[in-house]
Amino acid sequence: MLPEDIIAAVNAVFVEQFEIDPADLQPEKEIFRDLGLDSLDIVDMMVGLQRTFGISLRQNEELRQIVTLGDLHAFFLKLVEENPDLAAKLQKK
Amino acid sequence: MSKTRVVITGAGVISSLAHNRQGLLAALLNRACGVRAMPEWADTLPPDVVAAPVTLDQDVVKQIDRRFRRSMGPAALFATLAASQAVAESGLSEDILGSGRAGCAVSSTMGSPSSIMESCSLLLQGRQDYISAQQFFKSAAHTAAFNVANAMGLRGVLLSPCSACASSLQAIGVAYEQILLGRQDVMLAGGSDEATPAVALTFQQLFAQAENKNNRPPDQISRPFDVARTGLVCGEGAGIVVLESLEHAVGRGARILAEVTGYATTCSGEHISQSDQRAIGRCIAAALADTGLRPEDVDMISAHATGTRQGDAEEAAALRNLFGANTPVSSLKGHLGHTLAASGAIELVAVLEMLAQNIIVGTKNLTAAGPDCAGLDHVQANRPARINTFIKNSFAFGGVNAVVVGKSFPG
Repeated sequence: MLPEDIIAAVNAVFVEQFEIDPADLQPEKEIFRDLGLDSLDIVDMMVGLQRTFGISLRQNEELRQIVTLGDLHAFFLKLVEENPDLAAKLQKK
Repeated sequence: MSKTRVVITGAGVISSLAHNRQGLLAALLNRACGVRAMPEWADTLPPDVVAAPVTLDQDVVKQIDRRFRRSMGPAALFATLAASQAVAESGLSEDILGSGRAGCAVSSTMGSPSSIMESCSLLLQGRQDYISAQQFFKSAAHTAAFNVANAMGLRGVLLSPCSACASSLQAIGVAYEQILLGRQDVMLAGGSDEATPAVALTFQQLFAQAENKNNRPPDQISRPFDVARTGLVCGEGAGIVVLESLEHAVGRGARILAEVTGYATTCSGEHISQSDQRAIGRCIAAALADTGLRPEDVDMISAHATGTRQGDAEEAAALRNLFGANTPVSSLKGHLGHTLAASGAIELVAVLEMLAQNIIVGTKNLTAAGPDCAGLDHVQANRPARINTFIKNSFAFGGVNAVVVGKSFPG
């Protein structure tokens, strides 16, 4: 899975679940302040990302530190890079 | 001190036949029927089970801001769309809605059964991590009430009386009482419900669901008071009215659709599922007493009559004892099926339009009253009539009864 595919998969959660215009999904945007998500949306963001990437994220401490969409992209790029099994699984999807 | 008068200044509806009050009455007068086959339920229920589902235009749904829509299952969505119509008609300003003197009482049987089933399905699959943060808010018993309150910006009383198929009429009743007590000036009131396989299965198990051994077309299966009735057909939708003190409505120059003049609710205290003519009779008598009227003052009865053998017979007996054959009786369940918790409010909204157009909708599929339902003035064909005073009945599992008395305005 190419990095741009991973970024597209993350962004798709924001478009589908939160009806955000794809043009607004710039990496520097803050998830709460700029993209307008609240605490309930963050739970559903995690649920959506779990569905997309097929992994459990609820207890992930690193994810809780994320502020911008770019942080989230970086988190998943690193996760896929460090987990060849996950990369292979996503490739098959 | 004279009793505060409570009037209706707006009324909205979502139903299987139409998504506004005037459209609903036109469909009812046209003998339309929302009941259809339900191939989507074939995994759960026998293929002959029918229902009257609502089809929503997604463009209309999307007009509700996602911030509010995200926590709505179908029950809350139907209620919010109906409330939007009622508020728009009533012309209530954001200032009034947010004043703390405006609240709501909106009910459904058990929150959103379809949302509860979604959660249960994920839990049973061991996929609890995939349950949305919104699932509780979609499912909760008072989901219709708080979603309406949020979407409309209310700041006052929020109630959600839960009494199965009497819920929305009880909601209108408690809202009326809030205004009588002087606690609120304005209340959005009514109810909402969903037709789901789980709910239909409940009636199926209790032999209360309509059977179709004669292979009738779907639009002939729900047969209130009819000799060939076999049970009820599940429907869904929502009805919401804006109740307001007369003083408040006049003060802001609102158009008044009708007046609510009385309300009563009783329980039978005897049986959890069987309707009871004595308990129904006590409830109607108490509602009339609340408004200082005698049975002969009533121009029209909007019956609960769902098409069950026992329930219709008990209601007919109660009506016969009080009104004899002197008062027109109409049921809308032949057109809409039984819209469960929403039925009282949806049917009250339809009655408001009957008042406006001076006509009583005839009970669809009532071709010959059952001997146990005879002795009433059954309205079979649509009947032109000047309606000054009406009663709306709702009865429910648990032995709960609710009756609202209304009058045209000015009466």
